[in-house]
Amino acid sequence: MLDYRLDKFQPLKHILCFDDFDNGLCGWTNLMPNYTLDNFGVRDSIVEKTQWGPIMLSSGTFRFSGTHGSMDGIYSLKLATRPVANPYQEPPAPGSISHAIKRLTMHRKPNRLQFEMWYAYTTEQDRSGLSENDIRAFGVSFDMQDAKARNFVGVRYVNSVNGELKKEWQVMQANDVSDNDWAYGTDGDWCKRGVDPMWYGRRYPDGRADGYQFVPDSRQELCYNESDDKINWLYLRLTYDLGERRYVELQSRDKVFDLGQFQPTDVPPYARIEGLLNPVIWIENDSDRRIFLFVDSVVISVD
Amino acid sequence: MRQFQTSTLEQRKTFDTDFETHPLEVAWASEAIFFVDVEQLDEGSGSLHLKVQISVDGVNWLDEGTIFEPIRGKERAFRRVSHFGGWLRLKGELLESGSLYKATIHLVIKE
Repeated sequence: MLDYRLDKFQPLKHILCFDDFDNGLCGWTNLMPNYTLDNFGVRDSIVEKTQWGPIMLSSGTFRFSGTHGSMDGIYSLKLATRPVANPYQEPPAPGSISHAIKRLTMHRKPNRLQFEMWYAYTTEQDRSGLSENDIRAFGVSFDMQDAKARNFVGVRYVNSVNGELKKEWQVMQANDVSDNDWAYGTDGDWCKRGVDPMWYGRRYPDGRADGYQFVPDSRQELCYNESDDKINWLYLRLTYDLGERRYVELQSRDKVFDLGQFQPTDVPPYARIEGLLNPVIWIENDSDRRIFLFVDSVVISVD
Repeated sequence: MRQFQTSTLEQRKTFDTDFETHPLEVAWASEAIFFVDVEQLDEGSGSLHLKVQISVDGVNWLDEGTIFEPIRGKERAFRRVSHFGGWLRLKGELLESGSLYKATIHLVIKE
């Protein structure tokens, strides 16, 4: 019998995860820093990573329409920021991002790797008007490491930069900058150039960022809808060639973008994370209110 | 198996004014416990008052009726709640100016 829940995806040969959040959190959790110092302290960093907005299971409920539910049930995974934001070109404010992660390791010889999800996004309807401009960016990526390198492979939709709609896709590939530059001009940060581009790497007022490259001709409307309490489920697919260490393509809604010209940035391996394969999802705020990313379901597959 | 989630709503966060915790959607759950771990950082006598709030939409909030005993010094405490609809948060109030508290607040929810 056809499983319509899976039929809306295009998985590669081997499905690693099919996470429908009507079944619970499915192993997705909040990203936190490493609590390894005295009194469970964390290392100093220009980016405060203990305050990101906690994730939850959402019924998609709004003040006028009531319960929206998810694409084929009631519950979705909700990423919710806190009501804070810095200007785009500054380090993200504590709590201005919500970030979900699932912690896996590789189990077969690498070939292609794919991230798919059905999702929706909106702002908290805490004031009148239409608030599309308050959502800065959201994205998906893999944080992975083999014996040779650690890589961040991902894309983000840059929706708004300091309140101005941009609506373009970017791919994770770091500019040739120093580790000091990568940490907004600070020395001794845990992070190296190429690691955690969700919040590291300088950003510039025109939307450029040291952690990303714009995908050519990628301005795209995503059906935000006409009111903050109406959400439409959207399809996203990112395919990566692990063997070639090269991006393949991005599909957003019905449009496919060739990413063959892009490569992720190699970082010398970190200790104790060989074989790491962590899919991640995040959303970043552009204003002083909460914004939400709802994820109906996720498929991670390989061939 | 019953669904379960522990969420760290606020982590080692310092408060010098009234506050509300990160709103958590709890529609799938039928029981919840707020755990608070609080440390007073000022030398004054102002206490921290915490109460449970519920909401129809995550934006407009009402007192649920459950309150914590006023907190002073260093304390750990919890309160159980049930039959709460779709959302839960804590409201924190500092009645005296100059008060300064550090708090970690967990919400533990179960189907």
